[in-house]
This record gives sequence, structure tokens and C-alpha cells, in this order.
Amino acid sequence: MTTRYTTVAVGLLATLALSAGCRGNKSSDPPIHPNWNMDDQQYFQPQEDNDWFPDHRAQRPLVAGTVARGLLKADDHLYRGRGPDGRLVDALPPSLPLTQALLDRGEARYDIYCAPCHEKSGHGNGIIAQPGRIAAGLLVKPPSYTDPRLAAMPLGYFFDVITHGKNTMRPYAAQIPVEDRWAIAAWVRVLQVSQRAAIGDVPADKLDQLKSGGAQ
Amino acid sequence: MAQIFPRWTNKIPLAVAVTTPVVLVGVIFAIWYWFSPKFTDVGYQPEQPVQFSHKLHAGTMGLDCRYCHNTVEQAAHAALPPAGTCMNCHGNLDLGDRENRIKPIKDAFAGGAPVEWVRVHMLPDYAYFNHSVHLAAGVGCSSCHGRIDQMDTVFQDQPLSMSWCLDCHRNPQPNLRPRDQVTNMGWFDSPEAAAYDPNTDPTRTRAVAPPEHCSGCHR
Repeated sequence: MTTRYTTVAVGLLATLALSAGCRGNKSSDPPIHPNWNMDDQQYFQPQEDNDWFPDHRAQRPLVAGTVARGLLKADDHLYRGRGPDGRLVDALPPSLPLTQALLDRGEARYDIYCAPCHEKSGHGNGIIAQPGRIAAGLLVKPPSYTDPRLAAMPLGYFFDVITHGKNTMRPYAAQIPVEDRWAIAAWVRVLQVSQRAAIGDVPADKLDQLKSGGAQ
Repeated sequence: MAQIFPRWTNKIPLAVAVTTPVVLVGVIFAIWYWFSPKFTDVGYQPEQPVQFSHKLHAGTMGLDCRYCHNTVEQAAHAALPPAGTCMNCHGNLDLGDRENRIKPIKDAFAGGAPVEWVRVHMLPDYAYFNHSVHLAAGVGCSSCHGRIDQMDTVFQDQPLSMSWCLDCHRNPQPNLRPRDQVTNMGWFDSPEAAAYDPNTDPTRTRAVAPPEHCSGCHR
């Protein structure tokens, strides 16, 4: 009698445990929340869907021919890298002075957005450009920044290419804020100059660091 | 005089004494274990319209999280990238016979319907959350999202429950890292992590003081 009760009890517990599963088990079923109406309230968060529109986007694209408040890009030097004569400039915009902080920012942003194709050194052999397990690398390889044609280009050229793209490179204006694009352009210049630098260009206080192989 | 209770009723007090604690413990265990967000929410792994592998892109190839989720440092919301971000590389790559796997992305890029990715991490609408302040404080992606760089299909790694948030808000120090390491998925496995002390980090201009009051998150 007692053994039968024990068997039944153990069996029930085991069924419960098995049917309920364990913590962290993968499931494509949504999380179990008994009452969703507070979780999902009647307002739209960024990138939420809204079935009222045919494309299901709650975020609506900007109406053609309009400019949102505060987004009028009137400064040609800052937003287009061009001077009053319409030619590409060879200087940073006045609002962005050349500082170590700007170059550090440029290096960090370059490593995120550019290095996958252009390589951290700028020679154009980044991870995407190389043959991988699935793809055979970029169909059109990026050029090296030390290419004489690119070495002769004004700073505004690199800003312009980042902003509008070039050949197979797509524009990055939507992905990288304008100040960061200038910082990256400055860092591209650093990469170019560093490849042609002589030992005499290194400041005396950094020479020991360089010889010992230390970074920075 | 006949007995009112038959003889077997003598066993009732014993049976009650034995089964009551067992049932109570069972109920408490069941609620503690199966009613917890660690069970109800962790492990949610929805099927996505495109089999995008974070393991390949963020792990093997080492793309920085911010290449695609580029708003994460400026905005509350870490944006899903538009199809154009995918095409930055895929417009100039040939995947051969795997090319049809990314067809929905190519269609969206060509002006078709947007790719409707399924949201994995769903904070309730009554909880305010801001990605940018967490990154600015030096809380890394992997602290809340787990090792995304090892996931082929992303799943929810942490419970995202209120008590889980408060665990860190009450004692943030163990989860802080240098602010330039926030997207480093393996930071806490690195030797530098053991030696890092946020209180002596010169790049930090003020102490991290996360809110613990109700309106910090329920605004």
C-alpha cells in the first residue's frame, strides 16, 4: 500500500518536472507572462511594428522634400566637406579642432566601422576583404591609403567618401554621426602619414617607447 | 456501543503530519523554480526571418557590436540595423549557393517590405531602460545579453526581471569594466578583468550611482 502511494507521488513529481522543463531551456515560445497588457502598452517604441501601415513600420519615413527641425545641414564645410568655392576642403571644420582626443575618437570609430574591410593599418586587407569560410572575400578590394592617388587627396575627400560612398563602398552617413566622420577622416590621414614617417619624425619623448615595442 | 470512527482513522494524524510538509515544500519549490523569470523568460529563442548568425559575424569575424547596433551609445534604444547596413558588405560579397538565404534582406534593400525581425529581449513597457547610460557607466553588452558572439540564433540569456536589475543597481562594481571594453564579449575571462578597479580608473570622472528608487525605472 505504502509503496504504491510512493510510486504514484514520485511519478507525479517526475511528470511535472519533465513537462515543465528546466530553467534556461531553449524555446521558440514567447516568455510566459500571464498578463501582457501592461507589458505591451498602447504606444509605439522605436522600431515596433504597427499593422495599420502597409509596411508595418510604426516609425514613419521622412516625408519627401522636408527637413526635420534642427536637421538643416547648412554648413557646407561640416556636412559636405566643401568650401565656398564648392571644392573639397583640406582642413577640419572650425568647430572640430585637431586634438589628441579627436584622433583617439577617430581611431576607435575607424576600428569599428572601417577596419572590417580597410584593415586597422589601412592597407585594405580587413577580415571581410579576405577569403573566409563562406565568402571568397570582397569582390572589389579596398585600395590602400598609401596609394599615391589617395595620399594626394585633401582631407575633405575622405569625409566625402565616408558620407556618400564610392564605387562599391556604400555611404556611412546614416551609421556614423558627422563629427565622428571627420574624426575618422583625420585618423585616415594619420594612417597615411605614419606609413611614410621617418624615425626623425618621432618626438624625442616617445622614441624609447617605440624602440621597446610599446604601444602609444 | 459501536465505535464512531473505524480503526483506520487512527492513521489520519500521522498521514497529515507527513504529507502536509511534503506538499508545502513541493508547492514552494514549484513556485520558486517554475514561476521565476529565470524559467519563464530565459532561453527564449525565436526563429528569425533570416538565419543571421551572431556567432559568425560578431564571433568569428569579430565585427564590433556597434557596427550594426550603431545607436547604442547615443540612444535609449539599440537599433536593429536597416537592410542597407547588411548590404555594406553583402552588396560586395558572393555567398554562392547560400546567397538565397539573405534574399529577404536584399528584397528589403531594393525597396520591398522591411525584414520583420522578432524581438528577443522584451522589457515591459512600464520599465524605462536606456542603453546609452549603461554603456557610459561601463556595463558591457555581455553582462545582460550573454555571449552573443557564441550564439548562432540569439536567445535570452538573463532573466531581465526587476530583482535581477536591482542586484546590479545595488552593487554595480563587479559588473563594471573600462568604458572602451563594453563590446568586448570576453572581458570577464581576460586577465585584465581581475585587476580592474573602477574606483581607480582615471578615465572615470564620477562614481557610478545607479538609481534604486522606484521612479528610476518606473517613470
